Amino acid sequence: MKTLKLILSLMMLTFLAVFPVQAKDMIVKEPPKSLSKFYPPESKEPKWIQQMHKMSAHFGGVFVNLKEKDFENVDKHADKLVEEYKKTSEMVPEWEEYFDIKAAEEFAAAAKTHDIGKAGKASGKLGKTCGKCHGDQEISVWTKFHWPSFHKIKVTDPIDEKEVEFGKYMKSISSSMKGVTVNFGEGQYDRAGKALKVFKTRYMELKSTCSKCHTTDDVKLFYVGKDADTAFSGLANELNAEKPNPGNFWKNVGLLGKTGCKNCHLVHRTYSFIKEAWEEEDKK
Amino acid sequence: MKIPPRLTNLLIGFGCLAISSWVMLYFIINEKFEWIPKEVLELARDPELLERPEAKRCSECHEAIYEAWKDSRHSLSWTSKTYIEASENRTKEKCLACHIPQSVRGEKPTPRLDRREEGIYCVSCHFIDNKMNGPYDLMAPPHPTVRNPDYGRSKFCGSCHEKTFKQWQATKVEDTCQDCHMPRTKGRLTQKFGLNLLHKKRMVGDHRFLHGEITEKDIIVESELTEKMFTLSLLNKTIPHGVPTADNGDPRLYLYIKFFNEAGDEVDNAKEIIAPQQETELPYGKKMVYNYRLFDKVSRAEVELKYQPAWTKEKTDLWKVSVLR
Repeated sequence: MKTLKLILSLMMLTFLAVFPVQAKDMIVKEPPKSLSKFYPPESKEPKWIQQMHKMSAHFGGVFVNLKEKDFENVDKHADKLVEEYKKTSEMVPEWEEYFDIKAAEEFAAAAKTHDIGKAGKASGKLGKTCGKCHGDQEISVWTKFHWPSFHKIKVTDPIDEKEVEFGKYMKSISSSMKGVTVNFGEGQYDRAGKALKVFKTRYMELKSTCSKCHTTDDVKLFYVGKDADTAFSGLANELNAEKPNPGNFWKNVGLLGKTGCKNCHLVHRTYSFIKEAWEEEDKK
Repeated sequence: MKIPPRLTNLLIGFGCLAISSWVMLYFIINEKFEWIPKEVLELARDPELLERPEAKRCSECHEAIYEAWKDSRHSLSWTSKTYIEASENRTKEKCLACHIPQSVRGEKPTPRLDRREEGIYCVSCHFIDNKMNGPYDLMAPPHPTVRNPDYGRSKFCGSCHEKTFKQWQATKVEDTCQDCHMPRTKGRLTQKFGLNLLHKKRMVGDHRFLHGEITEKDIIVESELTEKMFTLSLLNKTIPHGVPTADNGDPRLYLYIKFFNEAGDEVDNAKEIIAPQQETELPYGKKMVYNYRLFDKVSRAEVELKYQPAWTKEKTDLWKVSVLR
């Protein structure tokens, strides 16, 4: 029981060292260009994150085997950790200073004493080097390499059948929607009805656009699914009615905005903003 | 010069022997494949062909099939511009299994590492468990072929065309994918001189993997034009899967409707995008109805259907009808 408590405490300490609480005035700075060669399309595989996983596996391997008293494998993982740590330190020259080879070697030496207390103590210094880099760079790396670039997506506008950039297309959807809501607010129901056809056609085109990445139906229909169909039918019914009911109309506009627009924007927009800002900066 | 009678007899004897040997061989190869011992089958094998050869190597014997495949979309699955763009320069992992399959066998394949530029090629579909597979048992150098009934079954195509396969299953129609997209004609499997004399003509599937043509007989249109409404319906009567259909591609039917007043001026228009990715495809045997409210006085409507395959932005005209009030 004592050993288990010790291991848990050590793991907690290590975790805190590797993933420290982020500062409030965090700066999301674009990762160095040299990292790009370890991610698609420059690399066939995401080699950088694979390298992180390798180090993490060997680091964890030391403690798992110390607990199991499998000292032969403790030694193997300790050596491999130093080897991979050195290799990683050479991959991105701009980040060389994050690495402390001596700390890695000291950790390996401590692990090889097969004393879990000594290994835990030595892991703190090494863990801090990981934590510092993660704190400074992790969000940027995930944003740049693990999130899609919306501004690179091209959409064929179904109304005029011309290809436009994604951002421009979003603006078209937004103005189509205003065509419906503004006319409805003015009591111009026929105009609102015509505008609804355009708005719906543009909105539904997003199903095709999203399907380029979201290939499973559950995800694909999350933003433009049943709720969107219900909302559009509700809007059409109101606009075709003798006397449209504003309550029903605005309820359906709200449903569309909340389940479609807002949900998607909450998930994707922040990262899209950051990436776009970086690329704008590059163009200057 | 006079040929001695003994030499004539010898030549006739050899001739008879050669002909009877050829007849016997032809009979065994084509009719009694099961008589051939496994060891003999192995003797006919060129071990190099176990190294997953390139399609060009297969064309040395199967020239006609190779030429048909080269005309197919399967041969372009890795090099197609549309695929490269849609997969962000081939970096989307989920696309790889079906664009460069290692071995197709009725379930989702795994991607391969070699000969990627050949796309879905001979070896992807015919080399299974270290043996050449096909619809017939065949014994011919440089490789014996093992009969695999899956080549006539839709499930084989469903390895990758999963969604289309499920749509077809739901229709309960007996015609398989191969019946329509690989129509069989009698011909030779090989064009190489010598080998072509050893094999009888068989039903050979079209390896262009034909993309069926959509006509007015396939998609039935009905319409009604009244003072306030125009109602149109489309019925996919003959094609036993959604039209258009695709797992991840984006083929479309564009339905254009133009409304004209008595003077012949266009007063309004509408458009429908019929596409699997928008879940608006035309299901088999189910009428899809489209309603349009008319805001102006309309005396004629013009309806036009166009098709845009997944791999191009070009549209082809299917049909056009005019509806009078």
